[in-house]
Amino acid sequence: MKKIDKPSTNDSSLVSNKSSRRDFFRKAAVYSASAVAASSLLSPVKLLAEGKDDEFIMEEQPWATSLGYELNKNPYGVPSPYEHNVVRRTTPLLSSAGDMHAAVSLTPLQDLKGIITPNGLFFTRTHNGVARIDYNKHRLMIHGMVKKPIVLTMDEIKRYPSESVIHFLECPSNGAAEWKTPQFDSLQFVKGMMSCTEWTGVRLKTILEDVGVDPKALWMLAEGGDGSSMSRTVPVEKVMDDAMIVYAMNGEALREEQGYPVRLLLPGWEANLCVKWLKRLEFGDKPWYCKEETSKYTTLLPTGKAIQHFYPLEVNSIITSPCPEKPWTDLKKGDIVEIEGLAWSGKGTITHVDISFDGGKNWVEAKLKGLVLPKAWTRFSYIYKYEGKELMLESRATDDSGDTQPTVNQEKKIMGVEGVYHRNSINTWYVKANGEVHNAQMRS
Amino acid sequence: MLKCVHKTISVGVATLVLTSISAFAFDGKKDAVDGGMTYPRKDGVYTAYRYNDQKVPPISFGRKATPNELKAWNTDIMPDGTGLPKGKGTVGEGDELFEEQCAVCHGDFGAGGLGYPTLTGGDIASLTNQRTPGKTDAPKRTIGTYWPKASTLLWYIHDAMPYAHPKSLTWDETYAITAYLLATNEIQLDGKDMDDDTVLSNENFLKIKMPNEKGFIPNIDGPNGVKNVKAFLSDGKNIGAVGVRCMKDCKDDGAKLVVVKDPRTDVTPPFAEVKDLPKKKDNSVKPGQEEYEKSCAVCHGNDKMGAPDVGNKEAWAKVMKKGIDKVLATAIKGTGAMPPRGGSSYSDEKLKQIIEYMYSKSK
Repeated sequence: MKKIDKPSTNDSSLVSNKSSRRDFFRKAAVYSASAVAASSLLSPVKLLAEGKDDEFIMEEQPWATSLGYELNKNPYGVPSPYEHNVVRRTTPLLSSAGDMHAAVSLTPLQDLKGIITPNGLFFTRTHNGVARIDYNKHRLMIHGMVKKPIVLTMDEIKRYPSESVIHFLECPSNGAAEWKTPQFDSLQFVKGMMSCTEWTGVRLKTILEDVGVDPKALWMLAEGGDGSSMSRTVPVEKVMDDAMIVYAMNGEALREEQGYPVRLLLPGWEANLCVKWLKRLEFGDKPWYCKEETSKYTTLLPTGKAIQHFYPLEVNSIITSPCPEKPWTDLKKGDIVEIEGLAWSGKGTITHVDISFDGGKNWVEAKLKGLVLPKAWTRFSYIYKYEGKELMLESRATDDSGDTQPTVNQEKKIMGVEGVYHRNSINTWYVKANGEVHNAQMRS
Repeated sequence: MLKCVHKTISVGVATLVLTSISAFAFDGKKDAVDGGMTYPRKDGVYTAYRYNDQKVPPISFGRKATPNELKAWNTDIMPDGTGLPKGKGTVGEGDELFEEQCAVCHGDFGAGGLGYPTLTGGDIASLTNQRTPGKTDAPKRTIGTYWPKASTLLWYIHDAMPYAHPKSLTWDETYAITAYLLATNEIQLDGKDMDDDTVLSNENFLKIKMPNEKGFIPNIDGPNGVKNVKAFLSDGKNIGAVGVRCMKDCKDDGAKLVVVKDPRTDVTPPFAEVKDLPKKKDNSVKPGQEEYEKSCAVCHGNDKMGAPDVGNKEAWAKVMKKGIDKVLATAIKGTGAMPPRGGSSYSDEKLKQIIEYMYSKSK
């Protein structure tokens, strides 16, 4: 394992000088070691014992004794190859027969910092593959119960005054594999069907002032331009509150997986409602009963009735450090360590996050840090003195609408275990005495 | 719900001093349609954001949609029959079409089993099934037991199916497939069972009675539809929003630690947190590969669909024994569930490349 800690020498893709034969073999050794290690997790790099000289300090390293690569090698920059394991992941469980046209890829939350998800790591859910739309040929039509039905090109949409807002998007199936029992031992697969981005676009209200929506219109149909013509019905009340159509994320055009060139953004609501590849908005006085608000995206209760039009992602939180991927196995008793995590609510703004070490019996309040914004990821932090003891570590968020995350049992009592969507009960990480972290639940 | 927060009690180290909620929350009000907060937009300030509040007249971009454009795109179908297109088809015609174009994913009679949605079978009583310990029967969510509206079926099949070639069915074909699916689900038309000769058309479509039409809450129909949703979502008891911010000696009756057992590892790429250099691999795209992935992999990518699956040495040896020219001719013509050229418009030359690529991955 020690080999992996050591950065490889003279990787030809990074450094412009020629590799020697000896370097080649050293590199090969590193590669084969990583192939073995790839299936497991690696402890953080450790220094040699007190008083022993570190070879990476004592010896000049190749990156300090050679020319680096030319700065224009990547006109569009890419992460360091050392970060190649920080990627979205998929599983056949969350697909049809392993088919990756109608499936979901999950964000590696364990490796993210702050509240912004890099565009290439944004979770993705599609129903008929990722549509590749020609920007120049894309049109948005707004019609139905309006004074003036219009069509817009992308360039015209971008002429409207723009706004930028930070909001999370979450698939209502986030954590759906865990209703009955914990199934994954991974933060990425327990909570990775969500991401948070700075979106730029135009408030729908701004466009609608010109179009003139009939005051009797109650509903808006949003339809996508992909193969499945993904569509949903949205109440006009939400449209007039904070709905946007967005064409940029984190400063650049939407990624195709996120609906290039334009998608609907309904802050705080099911990501499925934020229709991608948006081509049509129709206003009416009756709901449409789209496929994805009837046969799917409805929450079956133990009574046999199902909740339809279940819009907001409710208050939620997860500890991101430690987590199964980032355990505490390298800590010694007495070490000071930061417990960190994410909290979010589609119904408002996070006001409190509490931490429990004993599976929810007793709680202490964590600190919120960084930006605290409505319907956005909010970071929390708690500084902890590691004791090398077994823990049942939990976080529990509260929002300004007054909602607090329920326990698994509280949620289960009302929602049952077959509802698929909108699971937001408290998550437990079981921290073993040796610092390993495993996914768990407190439930009966 | 405000009282929830004020219920907060003392914590071991210090008693929490609770600031009023609005101080945290940008003067929000709990009056959103989803039961959550709305925040004022005033004087160029919206929560933590500034915005441009210059007074401007309504901005007018784009142009009026033409009647033909509206007709071309306004193809949705509503439960009350709005948008129902002219057309007709029989259950028998639908049976043939289903077998040709749908069964490959949805199974014979739509009975599932291939990893794609199951369309038929089960009964409404199963919807109360809960797979709690010791109980293994799942609720069955099919057209007959779950879907509330027949209009959804017709609209969705036309717009989104067949999966690999959406929008390729005529309205007559769509009516026929819909009729077949209703019949296999034992759904009645105008109070009568449907048989092979039953014709479904825009004339009688509204006479379909969906068994689980009343299975959904809240009621979203009528002028109070949105109000009903708002009232429903605003009551935490309806949606499991019943958490309490207890801080000390909190009770959770019967709750025990359940740690993940035999966690799933079938993920791609495999779990890894190592900071090392990636293994060198051949990233070059082979001729035919891109087209294979786009148009052929849906059926040939796994062994469930009955098509020779890529990677299956035996299956492909058998295929290629006929010689590339014969295989190409079959691909051009289509065979069994495979439409001509796999539903694509690739040239003969491109098809040959694709076949050779598929074979190369199956040696």
